[in-house]
Amino acid sequence: MTAFNPEDRGRHKKLILTWSITFLVLFPLLIVLGLLMRMNQGEVIKVDNATFYSYMTLHGLGMAGVLFSMAWAAVFYLVGTRYVKLNIGLGYAVFLLVVIGSVGLAVATLIGKFAAGWYMLYPLPFIGATWKAWTTGLAIISLIIMGVAWLIGCLHVVYALSREYGGFTNLIGWQYLGKKPPEKELPPLALIATISLVPGILAFIAGAAMLVMYLLQHLEPSLSFDALVQKNLMFFFGHTLVNITMYCGVGWLYTLLPEFTGREWKLNKLTVYAWNATFFFIVFAYFHHLYMDFVQPTGLQIAGQLASYFSAIPATAVTMFGVIAQLYRSKVKWGVIPTAFLLGVAGWAIGGFAAVVDSTISINKVLHNTLWVPAHFHTYMLMGVVLLILAFLYYLGSTEKNRDLSPKAGFGFWLFVAGAYGFLLMFYLGGMESIPRRFSEYASSGIAHTHDTGALLAKVAALFVALVLIGLLMMYGALFNGLLKKDQAPAK
Amino acid sequence: MYCTSMLLTIQHSAALISLIGALVVVGVVLFLFTTSDQGDEKHEAKKMVYALRGKYFLGLAAVIVVGLVITLGMLPYPKFQTEAPDQTIVVVGSQWSWKMGPGELPAEPKKFKGKSTITLPPGKTIQFLVTASDVTHNFAIYNEQGVLLAQTQAMPGYWNDLRYTFAQGGTFKVLCLEYCGAPHTVMTGKIVVEQ
Repeated sequence: MTAFNPEDRGRHKKLILTWSITFLVLFPLLIVLGLLMRMNQGEVIKVDNATFYSYMTLHGLGMAGVLFSMAWAAVFYLVGTRYVKLNIGLGYAVFLLVVIGSVGLAVATLIGKFAAGWYMLYPLPFIGATWKAWTTGLAIISLIIMGVAWLIGCLHVVYALSREYGGFTNLIGWQYLGKKPPEKELPPLALIATISLVPGILAFIAGAAMLVMYLLQHLEPSLSFDALVQKNLMFFFGHTLVNITMYCGVGWLYTLLPEFTGREWKLNKLTVYAWNATFFFIVFAYFHHLYMDFVQPTGLQIAGQLASYFSAIPATAVTMFGVIAQLYRSKVKWGVIPTAFLLGVAGWAIGGFAAVVDSTISINKVLHNTLWVPAHFHTYMLMGVVLLILAFLYYLGSTEKNRDLSPKAGFGFWLFVAGAYGFLLMFYLGGMESIPRRFSEYASSGIAHTHDTGALLAKVAALFVALVLIGLLMMYGALFNGLLKKDQAPAK
Repeated sequence: MYCTSMLLTIQHSAALISLIGALVVVGVVLFLFTTSDQGDEKHEAKKMVYALRGKYFLGLAAVIVVGLVITLGMLPYPKFQTEAPDQTIVVVGSQWSWKMGPGELPAEPKKFKGKSTITLPPGKTIQFLVTASDVTHNFAIYNEQGVLLAQTQAMPGYWNDLRYTFAQGGTFKVLCLEYCGAPHTVMTGKIVVEQ
């Protein structure tokens, strides 16, 4: 059993505070970009197309990067303070590289107006660009730097856990599948972190290969690559990154929620089977992004639907069941932390269900690239991942004696949740009404219904985004107060 | 095949199904909020939940299998289309316009001579062979009410085969649904369906 001394805990606490404060600063700024986009679509303000799409690019890349980084950092902190010693210097190196990459992306988009979208669909960055060529190079290099940072970070956590728990098969819980009870208990976070980070490692390698090809074409424009292969690589990278961000959050849900309910949440055969199945399905689910590429082999399209449907059972349904077993008649005191955990899982389930509906090929043919797509992934991210992160941050700023929060923080929290669901509802209604996604404005569509409905929904959504921001900022007093309090012992 | 006169579109059905799913989740959340103080022995409650585990997963598995069986028979891909096409239309997407017209697959899509407005007959199965000459676009057909009827990606180096039958006459709009650069929203075309 690894022994942890107070100095190590203190150093880990400083590192996670660095990540947390960076997250709390960047997250609302990225929301502001989203607000500006919805206001432009709602014809409340007018920004030119080049600017709109540079905002869209930074909003997408920034949110995916910031949320994954924060999720990884939380896993790093919990693993490093509870289960196995981790290299804190490496944690800072990852932070530094992510910051460098983020600054590069901000410069490329806000100054250079780089606007190829978060998935930079090949060969868009190189043809018909309204932005300068240097911004494409800077964006690619920035993403490579961030990808390398995440790769190193994930490899380190998995390697350290693997050494502690006697190898990779133990880490994915196979010792629970035999008749004999395991010699050493595996914490759920160790299993879920592995199931999340290993596909992440594969995705980062695929993403790095793809980005190196992008870089080669940027340096030598006569080169060209296959668009379908590049698209497969991009979505394997991008979809997996977003997917595992949620699973990291689920990892600390399994770890922290029992402290509020007083009920153990341990691994058993069912959870091990479920998460091993998730491990398999994560890798294939991204095919649903390519349904409208009819030349993609049909077998892969069907595999995409099967993987998307069946991945819902092991991860979401098993976790949902576990949460019900944790909370039902548990006498839990509904402070913001357990509430955020429960609502986070609920948001994951609601967004996940809408995603499964969209992953149905015969439905996707009329929902693909409409507002239904941002509807479900914003639900999953904003009301799933972000709530789990907020639960973690509140936990981090609390003490064992006092896990409650001020009423003002509670009001801000509910305002944030209400605003978010109002904002999301406008996306869902837009998808139902076939409003295209990624349209800077709807007048050019030439369809009265698309323009009128699209603009109206965007205008209402902008109001709800304002509530989201107000609610978030109202929580900041309690959050920063907890996180920056010097005289308290670090949370366990 | 989608019928333009249907009251409940596929989109509405999807929204309805999603709403039901969301309400179930909200119901579970409210149930957990309101019952957390009930009962005397908290560990007994956990056992009660676990007693339902088999039924819970069996029910979910049944929903998923039924969903798969119903939907996998309605794939939009050419090999799942039973009717042979009556007419073939070549579609080339280029930054930021559509070229459409009858003809053979051109060796160089960039040189294809098509128009952004075409006329097609109702009640005939049209085969749209779709590609792009530069970046990836998305060929999407909307009706006058703004309902998305059919779509496929227009990807450089590949030809996607989309089949669609316009049940009635009317004016249909073609939009690009894949972000293809700053003027993306102006990339439109028109399909007039008449005898």
